[in-house]
Amino acid sequence: MVDRYKALLQTFLPVIVLVLLVLLIGGYDPTFFAASNLLSVTADTMTLFLMASGVTLVIMMGGIDLSVQAVASMTSCILAAYLPRYGIFAIPLAVLGGAVAGFAGGFVSTRLRIPSFIATLAVSGVVISAGYWFSDTRSVNIPAELRDSYLGWAVGDTLGIPREIWVGAVFLIILSAILQLTPFGRLVRGIGAQERAVMASGIDVNRIKIMAFTLSGTMAGIAGIVMAARLGSGSPTLASEFLLPAIAAIVVGGTAITGGVGSIWRSFVGALIVQVVRIGMTFMGVSVFAQQIVFGFILVAAVAITMDRSKVLVIK
Amino acid sequence: MMPPVLELRGVSKSFPGVKALDDVSFAINKSEVVGLIGENGAGKSSLLKVLNGIYQPDRGEILVNGQAIRIVSPRLAFDSGIAMVFQEQSILPTLTVAENIFLGREEEFLRYGLISKARMNEAAAVELKKVRLACHPGTRCADLSFADRQMVEIAKALSLDSRIKGDVTILLDEPTSVVERKEVDLLFEIVRDLKQRASIVFISHRLEEVLDISDRVYVMRDGKVVKELGSGEATVKDLHQHMVGRQLHHEYYREARQAAPSSQVVLSCNGLCKEGAFSNISFPLHAGEIIGIAGVIGSGREDLARCLAGHSPADRGTLTVDGSVVRFGAPHEAARKGIGLVPSERKTEGQVSAFTVAENMTLAALPKYVASGILRFAAEHATAQEWIGRLKIKTPSTATMVGSLSGGNQQKVVLAKWRVAGVRVLILDHPTRGIDVGAKEDVYELVRDMTAEGMAVILLGDTLEEVIGLSNRILVMRDGEVTATFEAPPGGKPAQVDLIRHMV
Amino acid sequence: MDPGLRRDDGLMGDHDLIGRNRLKTAALNGGALAQWRKWAPLAVLLALCILISLFNGNFLTIGNFIRLLNSAAIPLVLCMGATFIILMGSIDLSVEGIVALTAVMVSLLVTNDISPYAIGLFAVPLAVIAGGVMGLLNGLLHVKLKTPSFMTTLGVGFAGVGIAMAVLGGDTVRISDQTFRFLSLGRPLGIPMAVWIAIASVAIAFIIQERTRLGRWLYAIGTDEMTARHAGIPIERTRILIFTVAGLFYGLGGVLSAAQFGQGHALISQGRLFTTITAVVVGGTALSGGVGSVLNSVIGVMIVVVLANGLVLMGVEPYVQQGVQGLLIIAAVALALDRSRLEVVK
Repeated sequence: MVDRYKALLQTFLPVIVLVLLVLLIGGYDPTFFAASNLLSVTADTMTLFLMASGVTLVIMMGGIDLSVQAVASMTSCILAAYLPRYGIFAIPLAVLGGAVAGFAGGFVSTRLRIPSFIATLAVSGVVISAGYWFSDTRSVNIPAELRDSYLGWAVGDTLGIPREIWVGAVFLIILSAILQLTPFGRLVRGIGAQERAVMASGIDVNRIKIMAFTLSGTMAGIAGIVMAARLGSGSPTLASEFLLPAIAAIVVGGTAITGGVGSIWRSFVGALIVQVVRIGMTFMGVSVFAQQIVFGFILVAAVAITMDRSKVLVIK
Repeated sequence: MMPPVLELRGVSKSFPGVKALDDVSFAINKSEVVGLIGENGAGKSSLLKVLNGIYQPDRGEILVNGQAIRIVSPRLAFDSGIAMVFQEQSILPTLTVAENIFLGREEEFLRYGLISKARMNEAAAVELKKVRLACHPGTRCADLSFADRQMVEIAKALSLDSRIKGDVTILLDEPTSVVERKEVDLLFEIVRDLKQRASIVFISHRLEEVLDISDRVYVMRDGKVVKELGSGEATVKDLHQHMVGRQLHHEYYREARQAAPSSQVVLSCNGLCKEGAFSNISFPLHAGEIIGIAGVIGSGREDLARCLAGHSPADRGTLTVDGSVVRFGAPHEAARKGIGLVPSERKTEGQVSAFTVAENMTLAALPKYVASGILRFAAEHATAQEWIGRLKIKTPSTATMVGSLSGGNQQKVVLAKWRVAGVRVLILDHPTRGIDVGAKEDVYELVRDMTAEGMAVILLGDTLEEVIGLSNRILVMRDGEVTATFEAPPGGKPAQVDLIRHMV
Repeated sequence: MDPGLRRDDGLMGDHDLIGRNRLKTAALNGGALAQWRKWAPLAVLLALCILISLFNGNFLTIGNFIRLLNSAAIPLVLCMGATFIILMGSIDLSVEGIVALTAVMVSLLVTNDISPYAIGLFAVPLAVIAGGVMGLLNGLLHVKLKTPSFMTTLGVGFAGVGIAMAVLGGDTVRISDQTFRFLSLGRPLGIPMAVWIAIASVAIAFIIQERTRLGRWLYAIGTDEMTARHAGIPIERTRILIFTVAGLFYGLGGVLSAAQFGQGHALISQGRLFTTITAVVVGGTALSGGVGSVLNSVIGVMIVVVLANGLVLMGVEPYVQQGVQGLLIIAAVALALDRSRLEVVK
């Protein structure tokens, strides 16, 4: 019985933390509770969530994808560079770019049997160069009229709710469904929980892994597009500050880096926590620069708390 | 009278579900060679680990020269005069011979905080002379042969002798299982030489060798010491009798249900070889047949089983499944051809502990439970219900985590998984390891059910008894080769002694 | 709880351990291929040099050689630390953070346009020690919280850059202390001071690796931590110490960066992590631990630097460098790949 309460508490701890944080900040500044403010905070969180959502799958598998910030930057460049020429088709092109980068990370990691953090780090080097190539090493503006006609779905309001939230919600549902309802999702969980058993059950583990990395790259690509739409430009360093918060969001949400446990909504909550903490620190007058220090340590602390140590014999 | 150099009194050690050591008492006198024998899982390795400080006993005490001590680490065991020679596993290939011998004890070679390699090599050369190994102490161990590394391991244990004031006990764990005959002779010479200075515990599968070298022999079974014999008064046959303990009873293995296999060959090996594991393996496997493979550790039977299940490819030879030649690069390729493996390490490879019973059962057959990309949870639940009933699995529901079931029920879930997948060849690697007696009988019953339905089984039994009781035919392996084949029809089972003759 | 105990609950584990050791042994010896692999990095370096000099006559000049050495100096210092950590089977992603932090710190302590300290060369040991403290933090968090090194160092590295940013508020500090800048720009015997310092670092690292217990233990830990533990090696302490030593090298790298550029900035270390890991891996030190040497990394650094130099000589855009390095990592790992291994890699 006690165990059950403990399990329940563990499941909802991130939500409780989020609520407490919101109440805390609201206590300092009641205008924080205004519906419009809450909506805009959530909207601001969505690009972070989109980036974190795909990586969540990889982390659930027990791997990691360190290339997402490079991928998002690159896709913003692809979008900005090709929107004038190809119009709406620049969007699928950018998404494809993200998918290819994700695939490359997965392929290198599984075929060459190297740890995913090093494989994705290596791939991110190539991706960064590609970003510079697409953008010709500078920030590329997206003309307002092109943005209105092709990227309107990502900015502005629908039914009084910012469209970023709609986009985020759609992918929250799609990815949750993939994770909960498809064999792919189940195998992702299985690989994270016990890869050798899944392999011994006659599953082509490498295929599943490459699929998950591809999906991670794809989501990073979509995040890059939404970012470019919001900012009205693409740049090869657009998302370079996003890797740490994205991983922090996932881990703070309660997905363990040892794999097997986690979900997309957790990363959603985690991303909100990260955003609210950031706002809270700004309220308290912590400089934007110093916030990174705090996030560095939050990341390590959250990893330490959520990790399942019985699964790793030797921690390297 | 002098107290024994090393003594265990009433030592017990349990792990969840297994009693590894049960009230074990054991003594070694000065300058004595004591043999320790027992089947796999009899408790020998647990005993060694207790003596070496890797396990802490739950109860009982360890005495050195009559003084009770607590051994909490291998280093402490070493400092108390107990050195262990593992089967090669504590030699680090990236370090030199000298560095391996003195690993963790470099203090004596420090000068101004730096290690003097010359002095370390000199000291190592002294130890190497004791085992008559003619190699430079600065050689990297990766460049040594398997047998030489074993000698380095022994030299490491011997280095204790000149560094400890008190008496020295050396535990030799299967030192001869992987070395050649002439090296065995050398080793025995060394052991006899050592007797002047040390007491020795000699653990081996090779009963003749144990009798040859030991003054006294302890026999272990089911975590207990069941017999203590002077080696003068015992024969190999006696030892074996004590190791196995009970006579075969036919009912236990459902021999009455053993049917003659059909003539249809489902799988056949032809000259299958794998470097360093097995060579020239040829046999046909028929539908409804159980082929048992007997052999000690290092015989290559585990490697063969894993190769057949696609876990590692063979180097040469052909594998034929249903008349077509196949080559497996990964387990999923074997599974697609209808070959499944029930691995010996159930908790890491057999089941996904954090998956439910239903999820585990359908794991190898997921595509059957998918409609337009979405899992069919109802169909999965129904299948799980059906197999829970058929295999009498004790579980609260289909949604219970497999990790929370008992070992026997977990193993049934693993068996159900392959049956749901519809495999036609099932390789059972120690299918009854770590499960209780009642559950074992259930597993035997299930194996008979499977063959009655035409499945073919390759069995690597936990005990020889099991292999003999269940199989239609038995292959005996030694050093990677099949040394004998026995037919084992009901009522005409071969004797264990006959098999053992070909095993060691 | 001792992980050794947990591993052995039930009756599994032993087989695994023996098997793993055999695999490692098998991967280490074995004939011509292994020999080839051992010399491959050097062969690649020579081939690169020959190839580039064929395309461009300016490559094989004394001036260019000294330029090469000069650009290799900082990566060499950083690689000495990173090699130790990779030999231990861990990874350190905090290189950039520690370098940024120490570079900013040292530039604020010498004569500069922001702070009044101007303590001259005394700033150097302070900055190096600050690097060591960050390394110690890496090690302590990694070992005491039992978090994997890549996550711990990722967090600490970000924190390091964060501190550097917060201290300067995103600004740049200009150094006007010429004695300090001598550390990089001075040319005793016609060779840049930074190169001398790098050579000294390599010598120190080599002595640590070959002649100290710490050096021998890190090989033992990288090869097989369980066996090392059973041999009585204090694993935790060794790990923490190695991370600290690595931090000291990064601190020195930060000092050299500040001296070279004459300024301190939070982004001064951008790209350093990448170069460092590329050089270590390309040099032939295995990511799985236990195999390699700081000397391998010297060759690795030279490969990376020569290639970069060659690309510049051939007029390739500078932003391509990082992509080339990414491909180099992949190629190096692919060449070193042992296909007989079938292990779970996450």
